[in-house]
Amino acid sequence: MSGEYQIIDEALRSHPDEATIAAIRARYPVEETIDAVLSGKMRRRHGPGYLPVSLDRLLDGIKALIEANTGYPVRIEGGRWLSGGASKLQVVFDLHWRGPAGAGDAIDRMVMRMEPAASVTESSRHREFEVLNAVEGIIPAPKPWWVDGDAEFLPYPAMIYAFATGSAKPSYDSGKVSGLGQNYGPVLRAKLAPQFVSLLGQLHNLDVATLPGLAHFERPQAGSNASVIRQVNAIRRIWEEDRVEEEPILEIVYRWLVEHAPPLDHVSIVHGDYRSGNFLFDEAEGRITAWLDWEGATLGDRHQDLTYSAMPSFQHFAEDDVTPLASGMMHASDLYKAYEAASGLPVDPDRLLYYNVFNRYLIVILTLAASARASRIGGTHQDVLVNYVVGVGYVALADLREYFIGVLR
Amino acid sequence: MNLSLDVQLQVALRALNEVVAPALGDAEKHVVEQLHLAIATISFVKLRLPDARRFARMELADYLRLAKAVTALPTSGDTLSALIAKGDALLESATADTADIEAVTRILRERVTLLASECTDAAVRREIDRMVLEQGGALLDQNRQWASFYGFEIKPEELPAPAW
Repeated sequence: MSGEYQIIDEALRSHPDEATIAAIRARYPVEETIDAVLSGKMRRRHGPGYLPVSLDRLLDGIKALIEANTGYPVRIEGGRWLSGGASKLQVVFDLHWRGPAGAGDAIDRMVMRMEPAASVTESSRHREFEVLNAVEGIIPAPKPWWVDGDAEFLPYPAMIYAFATGSAKPSYDSGKVSGLGQNYGPVLRAKLAPQFVSLLGQLHNLDVATLPGLAHFERPQAGSNASVIRQVNAIRRIWEEDRVEEEPILEIVYRWLVEHAPPLDHVSIVHGDYRSGNFLFDEAEGRITAWLDWEGATLGDRHQDLTYSAMPSFQHFAEDDVTPLASGMMHASDLYKAYEAASGLPVDPDRLLYYNVFNRYLIVILTLAASARASRIGGTHQDVLVNYVVGVGYVALADLREYFIGVLR
Repeated sequence: MNLSLDVQLQVALRALNEVVAPALGDAEKHVVEQLHLAIATISFVKLRLPDARRFARMELADYLRLAKAVTALPTSGDTLSALIAKGDALLESATADTADIEAVTRILRERVTLLASECTDAAVRREIDRMVLEQGGALLDQNRQWASFYGFEIKPEELPAPAW
């Protein structure tokens, strides 16, 4: 029966057989592409953890991928590792090629983004590639060029996109791990905040029905909550597959999320990780130059992004030491008002409440389960960072518990 | 013991902080970041290692309280009594291994969750859920206190004092 609770012992979680994988899939039905990603994660547990890959090996793979697409030889120069982010491995390089039209002599800086053996956020490179294509020219984001979704050329699934200029944190701030709780300061904040809001509104207003090329996304229907339940199941499935130890509170929250899933009133592209630390900006101009980390994008409810950007993990207090600033921008209530005004889309208090629980549940599971498991099995290129992020988990769980108790009252 | 665990961590930290870190110079940013995170992780272990057994005992005691409260409910069944007895014995034993204490806590976490999920009496299930939500707060605060070293608490000074 869907959602039925079963106990899986640690040996099967570490080295799942096909029957265990099938049982989990049956209990928590999810989108087809998400199912493939999560099933693949489980099957990889029979193999080695992340095996360090040399920069030269990656540059060879990058060259092969590009040449397979362009049909002519290219030159890769200046390759180096790119830091930042907790989940993916990135290399920046200069591509000497004939340019987009195939008839010139161009040098373009690009980034190769590859998943390791295990990740904080297991996701599909196909989906990330498709959504970046969909928002091109509308939302500032890296232009996607080529995707190696099935690791034909590189050791793990990867994609290549244009290098985006800008900084993730101000020059006067040392920043936080993965941009969590990033403080931009009052001057920069005043310039960035309106863009933070208006770009979110533009994203959510894209007409999903007419957007081409989203082949790896299931198309939800307005008026139905089936896609929302599939999303909840996807998070629950990660908890089932990755957790180190049970937290009984989470099963109560899961049941509530399924029982109270609201039907979609409008289908939007949801970024899925819309927060401080996930965009680049030009510090001198105070302009957002690129939104990053689209791997969690989905077609769903705008309130998911709205509440996510205001999660406590991404807040800090303003200079008055009293006002919490959502994603370092403004108070959450001000953010919702500004969004409504900028987007013309209504903000529904009931859906805000639902997605406040949803996103808290998600963050707990990404930290206490996905991050903990990925570092525990040596699955990443930076286990020490991924393990560090687990420290957020108990703050997030306490916050979920407190918020959820408030909802029940 | 000459080769005390604390001293081993201390000397490793000194080498990383005073020799390796300065030598990295202009190394790639992600290399420097991983070194500093490794130093933070070892520092965390050095701080918490002496308290690990006390923390494990505190967690077990907390879950035993919850399990006893849940099994006292009418029609909730008595599937936890053997596990509760094992947990009580571990808490009373001066020689119990920390790993055994942690293992029983882990099973208790699963079994309490299973019990609530399988409960067909809606009123009893609501009561189990209420207990889990209400009693879970104190232990969560201790988990936060334990992890506060990593710097993710906005106001760590407002956390309850360690109870382990």
